[in-house]
This record gives sequence, structure tokens and C-alpha cells, in this order.
Amino acid sequence: MSFGIPQRHRVQFMPEPHIEREADALLAEFAAAGHELTVPIPIDEIIELHLRLQLEIDDLRGRFGSDDVLGAIWLEDGRIAVDRSLDHHRHTGRFNFTLAHEVGHWRLHRHQILASPDGPTLFEVEGQPGIVCRDGAKAPEEWQANTFAGYLLMPREHVRAAWQEWRGDDEPVPDAALDVDDVAANQDWAVRAARERFVRPFADQFNVSAMAMRIRLEKLNLLVCEVEPRLF
Amino acid sequence: MAESPAEFGALLRERRLKRGYSLRKFAELIEVSPTYLSLIETGKATSRPTADRVRRMAEVLGEDPDAWIAMAGRIADDVKKIILEQPEQIPELLRTVSGLSAEQVRELIDQVKRKRQEDEPS
Repeated sequence: MSFGIPQRHRVQFMPEPHIEREADALLAEFAAAGHELTVPIPIDEIIELHLRLQLEIDDLRGRFGSDDVLGAIWLEDGRIAVDRSLDHHRHTGRFNFTLAHEVGHWRLHRHQILASPDGPTLFEVEGQPGIVCRDGAKAPEEWQANTFAGYLLMPREHVRAAWQEWRGDDEPVPDAALDVDDVAANQDWAVRAARERFVRPFADQFNVSAMAMRIRLEKLNLLVCEVEPRLF
Repeated sequence: MAESPAEFGALLRERRLKRGYSLRKFAELIEVSPTYLSLIETGKATSRPTADRVRRMAEVLGEDPDAWIAMAGRIADDVKKIILEQPEQIPELLRTVSGLSAEQVRELIDQVKRKRQEDEPS
């Protein structure tokens, strides 16, 4: 069994702002269809009630014989599956992120694959999924789907509004304000860990992992090394 | 009539979505894990849901619990109890009425209900 997308179906380069626009467009469609767009983002409803994709939770790791499989998507059938190991209250964030990641494949890559000369039919045979997604995969389509998931579950405006409510202002938080172990203060991993400890309650509001929220807040310049002095 | 697990699962999924419940939300309402609900819906569950669980599903979906319990291949606990309390007469009654149309059975039920009302002390 191969993972990711077969080499001949590798996806086109996509700038990050384009991915964010795609995620925002999906949220706008969902709201325009009469669904309530709340925080945490109702990813299950987006998949099942709006996109009308079939959602399953199954033993994907056993099925594909690999302990790092998280999800899979059947592009022809319109079916998404998540590994059953994520069905645990401790993994809600990863569960949601995996769902949003598969939606990323559906929105960003489905048309590219369907438009390719082979179409998906050559590899979606005998019930095999078009894409199998593993933890830590580095292929371009996996990075794009992860980026899409971050934007979908943590939309810019919602995060900024929630941050303002949580912090009382829209100021960034510098590392100096965090509880970074002094001995390891110069180590990247220690800074990342301190940032994730700090954002965990905020991440819970969005039902995402602390790591996913840290990355999002770093992109929004709300978690910074040090605050730049203002001119005025 | 009992459906195959796959048929029952497909019907359950169709009605759940019609009512606007996501997989995880519906699993929470009927107090099972999302994984088990998914396995029921795909016909892959190794055990059929219990009669009580199917009753809960039907109630949440606004469906007839007895019909759904039968479709799931289960017998309601109160029916089991009735059979066990009268192990000779009730099976005989069931065999006797077996093969009658739904309308004929309904007529019999109405007759029995009228008889009970007449027999009740006023």
C-alpha cells in the first residue's frame, strides 16, 4: 500500500494566501447555506451536512498496516475515514484537525486529480482510498491540506476576536512573558513548549491541539519572540 | 422484519442526516462511542446494538421504536419478559397469528383491547 498521492498525481504549487481564501470560502458557503458558524468550527457538520461526504471511523492502522495512519479519503465516493485511535476525548483536537485535513484534500486537490488524464480510477480500485494520510507526512499535498485545516478551524477573524476577549486587548505575547525554563531558554523546543502551555486554554475554545493553535498564533504574530517597539 | 446490518446501518445514517445530526453529536445523544456508531452505520459492528440502544436511536430520530428494534434484529426487553412469563401460550399465540396481514393483526389487537375494556370493573 502506498501513502499520500501517487507521484503522477502530485499537486500544483499553491500560495498560502490562496489556501486561506479557499478555507474562508468554504466557511462562507456553509454559513450562506443557513448553518450556524460557531467556535469551535463545526467540522463534522461541514463534512456531513454541507459537503454531504460520508464520514466513517475505522481501524485504518490495522487496515493499512501502519501505526501512523490518521485518515483517508475516497475522492470518487466522497468518503472520509479517520482512524479509531483518534476517537478519544484526549485526541479531540487531532480528530478535528484530521477531518479538516481531509476536507483540504477534497477542496484543494479533488479537481486536480479528477482532471488528470488518469483520473482517480487507476488508484481508487478495490475499495482503496485515493489518499491515505500519515502523521508527519511531508509531501506538498499534505502540507497544503494541513495549512488548509489550520485556516478552516482557526479563521483569522474568529481567532483575533477570541484573542481580544481572552487577553483583553489585541497585543501579541512575547516569549519573555512566558514560563520558559531558563536553562533551556535558548532552545527552540523549550520556547515551543512554553508557548503551547500558554495557549492550551485558548486552543480548547477552538477544539484544536495546543500545537495547532501555537502555529496559527505565530502566523498571526500574536506569539512573538519580542514585541517590536511602536513608533507612536 | 429484520434488515441486514448493512441495510439497518444505511437507514440509520440516512435518517440521522435527515434530522441534521452529525456522527459525533448523534453518538453523544444515544450514549455510544462515535466509532461504534460508525461501525453500526457501515454494517461492520461485530455485535448488533441492544434493543434499549435502538429504542433510544428511534426516540431521538422520532421513529417507531418497536419497528426499529425489529429492523435491528432485536426483541424488546418487555416482549421477552412477556414470553418468558407465559412460555407456552404466548409462543402459541404468535404462531397462530403468524402469516396474517398487518390489517388482520390490527383488527385482532383492537378486539382484544375492547374485550379488556369490557371486562374491566367499572
